[in-house]
Amino acid sequence: MQYRPTAGELLTDVATLLESEVLEAVSGPLQHRVRVAANLVRIVDREIRLGPAAAQDERHRLSLLLNDFEADLPTLRTALAARLADPEPLGGPFERAMYDSLLATARDDIAVAKPGYAAWKSDE
Amino acid sequence: MSTEDGLARWLTAEWGEPVTLDNVAVSSAGARRLNMLFDAGSGSRHARLAATILPNIEIQILDIATEAEIRQIAEHGGVPVPHIHGVCLDPSYVGGPFFVSDCVDGETIPRRVLRLVAQSGTGPRLAAQIGSAIGRLHAIDAASAPVSLPRPEGGRPVAHALDLVRTAVEGLLQPEPAFSYGLRWLERHLPDEPARNVIVHSDIRNGNIIVGAEGLRAILDWEGSRVGDPMEDVAWPCTRMWRFGEDAMTVGGFAGLEPYRSGYEASGGVWEAERFRWWRVLGTLRWGVGLAGQAAAHLDGRARSIVMAGSGRRLAEMAYDLLLLVRP
Repeated sequence: MQYRPTAGELLTDVATLLESEVLEAVSGPLQHRVRVAANLVRIVDREIRLGPAAAQDERHRLSLLLNDFEADLPTLRTALAARLADPEPLGGPFERAMYDSLLATARDDIAVAKPGYAAWKSDE
Repeated sequence: MSTEDGLARWLTAEWGEPVTLDNVAVSSAGARRLNMLFDAGSGSRHARLAATILPNIEIQILDIATEAEIRQIAEHGGVPVPHIHGVCLDPSYVGGPFFVSDCVDGETIPRRVLRLVAQSGTGPRLAAQIGSAIGRLHAIDAASAPVSLPRPEGGRPVAHALDLVRTAVEGLLQPEPAFSYGLRWLERHLPDEPARNVIVHSDIRNGNIIVGAEGLRAILDWEGSRVGDPMEDVAWPCTRMWRFGEDAMTVGGFAGLEPYRSGYEASGGVWEAERFRWWRVLGTLRWGVGLAGQAAAHLDGRARSIVMAGSGRRLAEMAYDLLLLVRP
């Protein structure tokens, strides 16, 4: 096992370096790219911390929805996309359960990629 | 020869006297266009102008001559655009075709637009002005547009847009079930083709407008113009992508829907609520697959860029927005 800093601590250090010292040292379009890079490092940090549990939860939801407890997550996602592309009617209860599942996944993905974005809950 | 020298040479020929350029700035416009702003001066004339240059003709969406013509048609129809003084298709001046227009002063950067509008309290008025401008654009007879303006396949903009987005969803690097569900919603709620196809700008939104304290000064970036469904244009500035965090303000982050709708109707536009909703979903999904396309272009080496790589982590936002819009 590695000594400290942890992977997450190191990523925070890299992001801080990019946002402070590197950003000050560059100009023009490179500034934008450095900001994007720093943000991506912070996303990866959150993904390492939150991603595994989110993937496990998504797999659990899709297993229940598709009644398949053997398949891995990519297989389940492919099966759901195929079901949605199939013109066969979805059925009300299935559709509601699927919608709730998709929304929960979107919220988990947002917690990694853009925290706070899912605070907005209405678009009408 | 530099771009600056080339423009001076062209203006010298146009004005019939020696012209020099001053205070040259390059504006941060779209990826395909180079926009140069400058003061042009001769013995008798001085003007702040903008040159819109297409440096790489391979990546054009719309050719420069057609873009200029559409802007002139729009201006004639009462849509505020920077007035065009001349079009040059000869690449010997600046390395590609270009047109020169007035440089309209004002804010274009979205967050600055929001700040200015908040300070001056002009959000509803700005929304009404944009609605009205779109209504005037749509009042123009599409038959007056040049034949070089893209038209939807079979004159069916709804089916055409759905086909394109379906192909993009099917071509994702890995399945995105929220997008598949959005696509299914679009198929289920497919509206009729519009009663009348019009000239659409296709990218009117906060970020493509010039705004002053008194309101709308001009609509920019006409390279996406084509013939289409009027509600496509109407719905686009109301998607969440263009609110810049001011999510409760449906139109561009600065106003609710009502003044915008009134403005559109006051200049002859016909508001269709269901069709508006459909295009808002379509636009959101299309933006989502567009981001996925950027990630793919980065990964396969067509356009390596950390920004394009980052687009792949933005799909979650679009999945969430899409799900909010299509809640069963």
